[in-house]
Amino acid sequence: MTRPTATLGIVSETGAVPSERPLTPRGRGRHDQVLDLEPRAAGRRAWLSEVWSYRDVLDMLARKDFQTRYKRASLGILWAVAVPLLQAAVMAFVFSHVIAVGNGRRFAVYVMSGVVAYAYLSVAVQAGSTAIVDGASLTDKVWFPRALLVVVPPLSNLLGFVVTVTVVVAIMPAFGVPLGVQVLLLAPASVLLLGFCVGLSLVLGALDVYYRDVKFLVAALLMVWMYASPILYPQHALGRYASWLDANPLTGVVVMFHMATVGSGGPWVVPVTVAVATTIVLLVAGGEAQRHHDRLFVDLL
Amino acid sequence: MSTAIELQRIGKRYWQLSEQAMLLKSLVPLTRPKRTELWAVREVTASIGQGETIGVLGGNGAGKTTLLRLLAGVTRPTSGRARIRGRVAPLISVGVGFHHEMSGRENVYVNGMLLGLTREEVTRRFDAIIEFAELTEFIDTPVKFYSSGMYMRLGFAVAAHVDPDVLLVDEVLAVGDVAFQLKCIEHMRRLQEDGTTIVIVSHSMHAIRLLCPRALLLRKGRLEFDGDAETAISRHHELLTVDASGVSTGDAPVRIVSRLLLGPGGPTHHPDQGDVLTYRVGLQFAEAVDSPQLLFHVVTETGIIAYSMQTALGRTWHHFEAGVTANADITFRPRLGGGTYRLTVLVTDKTGSRIIGSDPTGYHLYLAPRLGTSGVADLGATIAVGAQELTDHDALLMGPPPPGAPD
Repeated sequence: MTRPTATLGIVSETGAVPSERPLTPRGRGRHDQVLDLEPRAAGRRAWLSEVWSYRDVLDMLARKDFQTRYKRASLGILWAVAVPLLQAAVMAFVFSHVIAVGNGRRFAVYVMSGVVAYAYLSVAVQAGSTAIVDGASLTDKVWFPRALLVVVPPLSNLLGFVVTVTVVVAIMPAFGVPLGVQVLLLAPASVLLLGFCVGLSLVLGALDVYYRDVKFLVAALLMVWMYASPILYPQHALGRYASWLDANPLTGVVVMFHMATVGSGGPWVVPVTVAVATTIVLLVAGGEAQRHHDRLFVDLL
Repeated sequence: MSTAIELQRIGKRYWQLSEQAMLLKSLVPLTRPKRTELWAVREVTASIGQGETIGVLGGNGAGKTTLLRLLAGVTRPTSGRARIRGRVAPLISVGVGFHHEMSGRENVYVNGMLLGLTREEVTRRFDAIIEFAELTEFIDTPVKFYSSGMYMRLGFAVAAHVDPDVLLVDEVLAVGDVAFQLKCIEHMRRLQEDGTTIVIVSHSMHAIRLLCPRALLLRKGRLEFDGDAETAISRHHELLTVDASGVSTGDAPVRIVSRLLLGPGGPTHHPDQGDVLTYRVGLQFAEAVDSPQLLFHVVTETGIIAYSMQTALGRTWHHFEAGVTANADITFRPRLGGGTYRLTVLVTDKTGSRIIGSDPTGYHLYLAPRLGTSGVADLGATIAVGAQELTDHDALLMGPPPPGAPD
């Protein structure tokens, strides 16, 4: 049976992928796809390839999120950079000169690099953990893997983060920290931070659908976590309790940012290993939670 | 003919929670909120052929929307299985993902991609979409400046151009002005001819009659009827009356105990405009009543009184003792436009100052519109210019049934 669709200038054969539609081998919405719906969750491989086939939607959603957030503001993306930068500058000034936890200008860079990373985590995880509930109007009519929604905030905040970090690096020399090869460490540090945020958002985003109080718990956690990590003080400031910080997965992430700027002040192998391991666990657990509850979240919104 | 949609004993259960679940509370044993189960769809088995157009009917809470959500793949069945072949586009989602700050152009991309198109596919259809939506000049304006009509048109236009194999339509004909509605129906006809499988959920019996040879009738989640649309519509109105009849006022002096609409061929829920109908209402007198008066209403779906007739107030005619019953026969011609109507009866005392019996649920009937007509009344108008009569719609009747229509 031929299907002449005159308005679109496309003639297609039902059940076949016509040549006019250049689709990737695993493209979504193909005319020959078969959707099987069963009470149990999709298989791991099937779900992952499904998510992968929606990467263009993820890209579009992240762009949309970024654009709409700053569309109203006349300074646009400047806000995405100015706010965390200002936060970092204030914290750095207070903790290096007013309260003087560390020593002088070099410590200011230490605080700034940590605060910038934490500011990104805070915004991304806060938005990511409520993304599925907030996106309810999107999700109750059209299906796409809900995991996409959760990954959007960490991605859409990435550009602002990269620019902010670049500014911090650029002003480092003025604080007596020379630019060196150590800044190359920013790449793995940022990847680790991104992975950590995505994993955390996947887990919290799934929980948020089921439990109304998750967003308050997240807000409380984000407030405490900043002080429970070596961001505003050097790790050794805790004296004999300093090693306790190593159990905090965020320590390793922050330590990597310190290594990429002022250089590591202490041992880094243990905290970084803890951070990497936690990130992997979060990503796997979050992915599994999303897979098991995909197409079920919508029932609770 | 291959099947596009296969449903095998599909069911969907929802849990209704007594309160919102809290993570902290759930860690404390025995404090989980109470939950009650609700089967929105239960044991539905049906097979829909490729290129078929099928309507889904049912009262409120019958499971129509849940069924559509299952077909759209938005939710997972609790039992049974469904298999859907080809690209599914839900027209239930007019304007999904639209963002007020973004321009019409940007929203077309977001919406189109959410509905399953790739970026290139949206680009290729872009001109056709804005032309269909009649928004060429405003396409770069943020949609927050659009009127609600423009907004809906753009949403529908995108959904209509997804070029799906299976199109799911939910109440979409309520969109926009009359001209745009006609355009939508026309567009769906074209998709029908192209072999698209269409599933329509609508409260508009007209839409179902116009587009669907076959319909599924759902009742409390179960499949009550699967067959030709006319029979389904008739059954649907019968059920509307049956399922609602428990609500009748209990302790009024006069109770309405039965309702029956008699047409030329016996009881009916689906008469023709030309029929002479008798609405027979059984009255039971719980108290002694002197010379009760009756008020007969015909109410449209939107609650407008299309017709009202009253007996002569103040006239003394009969004294009813407590416990007796009587039948009231109301004979009329339904010179009404197409639609679903409710017949209701009020009983008042002799002077009409006090209501002593009422029938809030009433009796539901469906009248098919004469082709080309709309509105509450059917005045039987004809239009002629010179010698040419222009209202002879029979010539415009539906063409041959679409491929895949059941025999």
